Amino acid sequence: MMRRRRIPVTRQRSKESVRPFNDLDGVYSIDGRLATVNLMPGVRVYGEDLVKIGRTEYRIWDNYRSKPAAALKKKLKVFPLKKGMTVLYLGAASGTTVSHFSDIVGKDGVIYGIDIAERVLRELIHHAELRGNIVPILADAKLPGKYAGQVFGQVDMVFEDVAAKDQVEILVRNSDTFLQPGGYAMIAIKSQSIDVTKPPKEIYAECLAELEKHFEILDKVELDPFEKFHMFVVLKKK
Amino acid sequence: MKAYIVVTALGCFGLDDKNSVLEFVPFSKEPKEIAEKLVEAKTGTTVEQKQLEAKLSAKGYTDFDKRDADVMRAMLPTLSGKYGFARSQMEFNRFMGKVNIELAKAQVRKAAGRDNLIMQVNGAIEELDKAINILIERLREWYGLHFPEMSRATSSNESYADIVSRFGSRERISHPDLGILKSKSMGMEFKAVDAAMVQSFAEQITALYKQRESLERYLDELLKETAPNLRDIAGPALAAKTIALAGGMEKLARMPSSTIQLLGAEKALFRHLHGRGKSPKHGIVIIHPLVQNAPLESKGKVARLVAAKMSIAAKMDFYSKVYRGTDLKNDLEARARKIAQEK
Repeated sequence: MMRRRRIPVTRQRSKESVRPFNDLDGVYSIDGRLATVNLMPGVRVYGEDLVKIGRTEYRIWDNYRSKPAAALKKKLKVFPLKKGMTVLYLGAASGTTVSHFSDIVGKDGVIYGIDIAERVLRELIHHAELRGNIVPILADAKLPGKYAGQVFGQVDMVFEDVAAKDQVEILVRNSDTFLQPGGYAMIAIKSQSIDVTKPPKEIYAECLAELEKHFEILDKVELDPFEKFHMFVVLKKK
Repeated sequence: MKAYIVVTALGCFGLDDKNSVLEFVPFSKEPKEIAEKLVEAKTGTTVEQKQLEAKLSAKGYTDFDKRDADVMRAMLPTLSGKYGFARSQMEFNRFMGKVNIELAKAQVRKAAGRDNLIMQVNGAIEELDKAINILIERLREWYGLHFPEMSRATSSNESYADIVSRFGSRERISHPDLGILKSKSMGMEFKAVDAAMVQSFAEQITALYKQRESLERYLDELLKETAPNLRDIAGPALAAKTIALAGGMEKLARMPSSTIQLLGAEKALFRHLHGRGKSPKHGIVIIHPLVQNAPLESKGKVARLVAAKMSIAAKMDFYSKVYRGTDLKNDLEARARKIAQEK
């Protein structure tokens, strides 16, 4: 399936147009659009725009395609992803968001990208080979024991974007196995996959109550209008 | 004595109950070969594991149990140094990165089965149908300028395209039903070049029909091989569409029959769940002749019956691989007759 909506462009822009976004590590704002520094200059992952400023090439981070970008646009205040971190990413898919995380953590960081579907992992493997800081793993995120042998040491962050009824439990289970004490977790709660008949607010409340048993809730935003019926939550392991 | 066997990227470890290493048989140091071994180890026993078991037996361990690699997670970097896989943590990470990429590749390679072919071919047929429909509409309009009467006389799209592609201009057509019509046609005159163009366009359409036919035959062969029971119960078209909607044989085999009954009716189902509208009684199973021909008031009942049998058939095809299609079909037809008599 062609996902590209329009022909992407590489543009040369002046130095004034780029500034750090909310003082976050590796996240920039270019003419009001989010961007990360391209780890593989010249290479696009999902048809995004590339912007060259001086010698640095940035990749525009599409807030309609990537939930953390949407969360930042919706004024998420706490975003603990930093250079050099090791991240366990559940629901990596073809690597749209993973690629930006890979930009942010840089050469010294690692993203373990878990996904259950081999079709989308095909795309991720391609970029994993190019970038060198992504470890693609074909596995079911519900069963951490099955891929524990492939994830080394404790991770600094667990990120979950999985459309599953038990997505909160999946996050908890993976954090118990892999997340170091005091480590961070981020989750995109999709109310439509938990129960389509209940109003989203009710589901958010239930999920947050469950999450609070295991984590401290640092921040949360709803992703409307970028993603409907989604809430993005940033957590810290107790 | 009991020993635990753990297969890691380095090789096969034999551990005692305190997780200390008793014996070790390494894999090669080549990431690609390691990945293949790891995939093999998930379903079977590698040569290295057999060697390890032999070594352990020699030490008096006779009882073996396999464990997930996570028990050795913390030890691996040190062990990899000890056995010469990597000299530093950095080198170890790079090595493991390569192994993991190769492993993911090997898994992707293995994950696609014959049922993926069924889904692709089914999709190709569906898209050919769409394309043919669009092109036929154009052909009927175009050729209709020259011979408008033919459209009414030839209701089958395939024979319409066939006639135009064989004869070209109206005058050349020799066809029993069209003889009188062509002599008093109200269509405009086509020059030789006009007729030639529309003729070659029609040829392309007939080629698409031929392509569709050969895909259908191929699909049927695939189904005989992968889902013979399901094919017998549902017929090739429904069997293929059901597999495609479910997303593969494994997923279909794990589905309850109530889900199979409503595959393809998701929109109506969710409308119902939201409290707007009646519950759907059938999805794609509606194309099954038994459901299609059932009277309105028992369509749901027959759909449930057909879905139940399809579910059993899919499970047989995927898990036990026994062939009992004829029994299932007889049973299905007997039950359907009974439902018909109840009325």
